[in-house]
Amino acid sequence: MGLDRRSFISLVAGGVAGSLFTPVIWKTLDDVSIWTQNWPWIPRLQYGEELTFPALCKLGSDAYGVKVKTVGGRPVTAEGNPDHPLSLGGICPLGAASVHLLYSPSRVKNPKLKDGSSFKDITWAEAEELLAGKIREAGSNVAMISGDETGSVTDVLSGLVGKAGSDKSFFMPGESAPAAAALAMLGGDGQVGYDIENANYVLLLGADALGSWGNVARNGKAFSASREKGVKFVYVGPAQNGTSAVADSWVPCNTGTEPVLALGIAAVIAGTSRDRSSWPGFASFAKFVQTAYPLDKVAEITGVKAAVITGLAQELVRAGRPLVLTAAEAGQGLGAFELAAGMSLNMLLQRVNAVGGVRILPWAPKVVEAAADRKTMFANDLVAYLSSVADGGAEAPALLMVYGANPAYALPNLTKAQAAMDKAGFVVSFSSFMDETAAMADLIMPDSYAFERLDDAYSPYGSGQPNYTVVAPVIKPVFDTRPAGDVLLVVAAKAELDLGFESFEDVVKAKAEALGADFDEMVEGAAWVSEEFPAQDLALWTTPLQELAVAAKDGKSLALAPVQRLKIGSAKIAIPPFNTNAIRFDEMLGNDMYVLLNAATAKNLGLKKDDAVKIASSGGECKARVRIFEGVMNDTVVAPLGLGHTAWDAFSRDKGDNVYKLLAADTEAESGLSRFATVRVTVSKA
Amino acid sequence: MQAKEFKVKWGMLVDLDKCTGCGACTVACRAENNLPPEADAANKLRTNDWMNIYELSNEKPFPDHEVAYLPRPCMQCGHPSCSTVCPVVATLKDEEGGIVSQVYPRCIGCRYCMAACPYHARYFNWFDPIWPEGMEKVLTPYASARPRGVVEKCTFCHHRFMAAKEQARMNGEDPTELAEDAYIPACAEICPTGAIKFGNLKNPEHEVSKLAASKYAFRLLEKLGTDPQVYYYSKREWVRKLGDNYLKNAKGGEHV
Ligand code: SF4
Ligand code: SF4
Repeated sequence: MGLDRRSFISLVAGGVAGSLFTPVIWKTLDDVSIWTQNWPWIPRLQYGEELTFPALCKLGSDAYGVKVKTVGGRPVTAEGNPDHPLSLGGICPLGAASVHLLYSPSRVKNPKLKDGSSFKDITWAEAEELLAGKIREAGSNVAMISGDETGSVTDVLSGLVGKAGSDKSFFMPGESAPAAAALAMLGGDGQVGYDIENANYVLLLGADALGSWGNVARNGKAFSASREKGVKFVYVGPAQNGTSAVADSWVPCNTGTEPVLALGIAAVIAGTSRDRSSWPGFASFAKFVQTAYPLDKVAEITGVKAAVITGLAQELVRAGRPLVLTAAEAGQGLGAFELAAGMSLNMLLQRVNAVGGVRILPWAPKVVEAAADRKTMFANDLVAYLSSVADGGAEAPALLMVYGANPAYALPNLTKAQAAMDKAGFVVSFSSFMDETAAMADLIMPDSYAFERLDDAYSPYGSGQPNYTVVAPVIKPVFDTRPAGDVLLVVAAKAELDLGFESFEDVVKAKAEALGADFDEMVEGAAWVSEEFPAQDLALWTTPLQELAVAAKDGKSLALAPVQRLKIGSAKIAIPPFNTNAIRFDEMLGNDMYVLLNAATAKNLGLKKDDAVKIASSGGECKARVRIFEGVMNDTVVAPLGLGHTAWDAFSRDKGDNVYKLLAADTEAESGLSRFATVRVTVSKA
Repeated sequence: MQAKEFKVKWGMLVDLDKCTGCGACTVACRAENNLPPEADAANKLRTNDWMNIYELSNEKPFPDHEVAYLPRPCMQCGHPSCSTVCPVVATLKDEEGGIVSQVYPRCIGCRYCMAACPYHARYFNWFDPIWPEGMEKVLTPYASARPRGVVEKCTFCHHRFMAAKEQARMNGEDPTELAEDAYIPACAEICPTGAIKFGNLKNPEHEVSKLAASKYAFRLLEKLGTDPQVYYYSKREWVRKLGDNYLKNAKGGEHV
């Protein structure tokens, strides 16, 4: 055809005005539009019966119920599940993209064995034999890492490790572990939850509760409902985020010093006339906070004005049903003392095990005998262990099994973590995706994806009440993958380690039974919820009180505020293909991510908008560009976690840089847990 | 041009005091309407985002700075600028409900409508819709995949409207009297904070009609007289003020 598209368009545009009134042109135009719309492949829509199935989404730090819509048996979209206590019909941007991940270009389609610098395909039988052999060889020198705090697969894996005689069962870092340790410091025992729904004043110390922290979907619903009830939300943190955008106010506070603010507020409250002398631990606590945290000192450390601190204290006291929620901006990295600081404020306000306050949930029942229980696992510190392996302080495991986690990408002290994994004799990854850990593993036993397997979740961290969810597969595995829970039981049997269960379904049934839940009803979609909270005998700090360690300002370095934005992924998942469009142009330029500085800070450093910079800490270095954003504290740089993948696919690989490299951890003396919420960095022109 | 009046006028109201800018609506919209994944979508020059989220700033320095997030679907204008300039009448507002339609097979890709739309709500398909291998299996049956070379936009998930009408007819109900929850677009349904409300602006029972009448409600660029069916809501005065010149202040979406 002699007419190209451009000249055709100008022809039509020029001639059309006069001809619109004749009907002839319509037919012609419809025909011509067919050849202007030249494309090689037209996806045919397929129709069929529409159904919805309850399913679980564990892509963020949370685990909540979704509904997967299927058409003719094909899952097409995911929606919130109005019947699930942690969804209430809401969903996060990862849940919204969850169905497409079934066919992500990063799916591992069959078992793979490392072969030089690449992988070769092997059969499931070969993979299972191989792993069973490795288990027998390794003896008790095995370790496991799980990224799933809520599911029973973790129990099976930990059971296998326990049966082999090892206590090296670890979780990826999060806030469950320091929260449990914090509760123990106050004499309590259990899982910490927050009854946001029934609070009438919510003070969010660092917690990006509506963006990435805790049960995001549920938090969103609770926030939405409380708007109508006039509940006040106050966000305290170093930078504005999704939560602060809708909160009633934002109180800028230096990165990671929110717990100091909590103790400062506590000091003000303790100094009020109300008689609390009969409360266990009050006298020494009051004395401690009033001496260690006088207003001017707290104002100096946190950057929050003294008047604002007393104002917050007064509002909390007046509120009636206030709730204080302490967390790191990125949902990890705070120490136990720091979380205990926020918790003690709730205690001072008499908000523990109260409606609209902090709730203490019972631990999940233990059904796999040889497994470490949650409390023990939370006390095992992965960052410290891997750092010690890297430094030669601890023996490298002969066999390291990783499930539902990506430690080669998402750990603080990352270089050491990677070095430790390199030192491990044999690394097995149970992952649905070719993530960084799978890419460096010796054996990949691809786990079936969320909607292809039976799965369960007991009370994700932050849940306001005990809850348990069981979901059946929505579809058969689309590739040659198998659910890790079943694979582990087969391998255990082959290695002659009896875990007491033949199938993963039996494990879940046992857990449901232990909870008094009905398995059959649950797989149909009913969630189990309980209102039983173990009684607690709390005292205001039973461990020695000590001042919180705060990274010292040196006038040269900046405080790093790492943040999570679920739309770009989490510690577990890279940017899903459908989510790249949710990245704004001021969040990424080409493949460069933006870090945020306010104008004053940028000026001090001689930096302008879009400048390429190098950010360095004692942990490592990152590259980025500068965006001037006035919603950031002075001398603070905000950087997004979740970018800079080296594995995965075109939708996430090489986009931005991995901010985990900057997270250098230290060890909290009393609890032995790693903390990395207050890292200092230098920012210089690249 | 005189706007056509409809008995039913579907409207959306986005409460900017509830939107956290999370992006769930953007993702849900893509999934529902079969927009293909785009690897380099941070570069907005050639992207296709029916539902785009802008970051608004009060432009004050730290610590007085504030942000708000503004999700932007097609405004389904009462006086659409796009349809008046379309040489082939591929876009029209002529159906009960007042949704501006876009007839893809008729679109010749001249992009006059894009130039005319003051909201940047229309997108040109620069590329063939390519799904990673196998991912085409998640295509919904609701919206045919559009070819390269046409302009497309948000339709208030028109297919859900059709399905709701169909359902009403099957139940022997009046399809012009749909209940508030009978027809909800994907973005409104998925929003975790319930920031997006949807309903018939002409039905006093529907929440949108009440909220749209509030003094805190506003529409974008009202002075242009496009009469949008998308309302925004904010108790923050600076946010409302930006409504009339948001292009100057918006951060994001400098697409062509
Ligand atoms: S889903 Fe809701 S909260 Fe999230 S960006 Fe969209 S409108 Fe805002
Ligand atoms: S109404 Fe439907 S088409 Fe329009 S933005 Fe929302 S989800 Fe997308």
